[in-house]
Amino acid sequence: MNSRRDFVKQLSSAVFIGTALPPLAGWATPSESPSGQQIDVPGEDGMVLRSLRFYDLETPVEYFNTWLTPVPHFFVRNHMHEPSELGAEDWRLMIGGEVEKSVTLTLAELSKLEIHSVVNTLECAGNGRSLHRPQVPGVQWGKGAVSTARFSGPRLRDVLQRAGVKSTGKHVMFRGLDEVPGKVPPFIRSIPIEKALDSDTLVATHMNGAALTKHHGFPARALVPGWIGAASCKWLTEIKILPSEFVGNFMSPGYRWPNQPVKPGNAVKPEDTHPVTALSVKSVIAGPLENSSVKAGRVSVHGAAWAGEADIVKVDISTDGGANWSSAKLGHEQAHYAWRMWSYDWKAKGGDYTILSRATDSQGRTQPAAAEWNPSGYLYNAFDQVKIHVG
Amino acid sequence: MLDRAKLFASIFCRAVLLTCTICSLCWGQDWKPTISSGLQNPPPVSFSATGLLPPGPMQAKATTACTECHEARIILQQRLSKVAWTKEVDKMIKWGALVDASDHDALIDYLSTHFSTEQVPYVAPRTAAEKGSAGKTAK
Repeated sequence: MNSRRDFVKQLSSAVFIGTALPPLAGWATPSESPSGQQIDVPGEDGMVLRSLRFYDLETPVEYFNTWLTPVPHFFVRNHMHEPSELGAEDWRLMIGGEVEKSVTLTLAELSKLEIHSVVNTLECAGNGRSLHRPQVPGVQWGKGAVSTARFSGPRLRDVLQRAGVKSTGKHVMFRGLDEVPGKVPPFIRSIPIEKALDSDTLVATHMNGAALTKHHGFPARALVPGWIGAASCKWLTEIKILPSEFVGNFMSPGYRWPNQPVKPGNAVKPEDTHPVTALSVKSVIAGPLENSSVKAGRVSVHGAAWAGEADIVKVDISTDGGANWSSAKLGHEQAHYAWRMWSYDWKAKGGDYTILSRATDSQGRTQPAAAEWNPSGYLYNAFDQVKIHVG
Repeated sequence: MLDRAKLFASIFCRAVLLTCTICSLCWGQDWKPTISSGLQNPPPVSFSATGLLPPGPMQAKATTACTECHEARIILQQRLSKVAWTKEVDKMIKWGALVDASDHDALIDYLSTHFSTEQVPYVAPRTAAEKGSAGKTAK
């Protein structure tokens, strides 16, 4: 019955006949004009549409102009259908596995725990996948599957303490309420206990001061700062303490990184890989935009740079395709897991230019000229580049 | 009485399904690729926001098999070799996509013809601007 409902939902979405088909879920649904030129997704503002079903919405780079990303501009990555029915009153969070006693918390009980806030840059592991060569399958993200918000909620370690983690507990598994079609494996992953017990790892209920929206995991999500977005499970409903890493498709073969550099296009054996965890060092140019034309004179080259668990220490800009580099000015707003805004005042003369940006972090990592190719197209982080005309 | 209600519900669902399927097929006939003058073989296509699979011998079967779980845009944005498409199709069959054995190779041919690495890049549409969104900032 589920698959029939899904099928009807799909057809009504893909065809968009604008008929009297009633909405099948108790949530705002997208609408699409017959020409397909006007796609309205409630709560989302001018996003790059990678997919409506499942929702995959990319932040346009020109929105990388505020330290905190407004929620309607925050990228959305779903692997499955969002929960069709979800109420704060009915929601429960179960904590079990290698614990002294299993517990189940309501949202009200969760909100009584001490609230902690973390400004975190969340990036999809596949951000920039479309830029890898040879191309690899998956959502063909450009540069914008990354955003920054202030996430708030109880610390995960305080939640786990309610159940009491046994010494045999080494990994923490998250399960969300997203709905899985067909025989697709559920989106379940785990993180090591050390990261779970970190004082900045949260069960987040709020984003930029407001309750999470549905697209971002209402009513609660894991927030694993500095790590790939896939670690931060949305619509969280179960936490299970495990003696070893969770075994499932989204731990292996999904979200794994080759132990050794791979020749582009080559396959990698699963045993020669390890899980993708923390983000790479990276910068993106928010302006001027690719293929834009600007007036000669003072031009502000600006953007954002981030480095997962490390801090950005420097962003260099080249306006001559990489022959010469100058330091950009870093923005004053900063937090350990958050991106830094940067800008460079360029006195531009007429001509055609290739502008590059290159970030360096506190671990000594520098953004490379070419990203390390891998079969799933994760962690693309080559110098960013835009070509512009100065008139 | 309950049985009659169930029967009615079943007929209604089937009618909606049939209507949608017919609409889907008819809609597909209106789909028009944009032909770029630079490349002729295979025909380059620029898929717009419509989110429909292109015409071809496997259009209807691909629509049924693939879009049961995800929309066509996921396919439209891929640019893959035939080897990569074969892996994807076989993975999706393992995950529940219903593809007759006799259609397997034709489906891969269809996908790897229309969504090969030779095609022009996919241009993703944008969602509408939210009313009153200008100047919105986070707290």
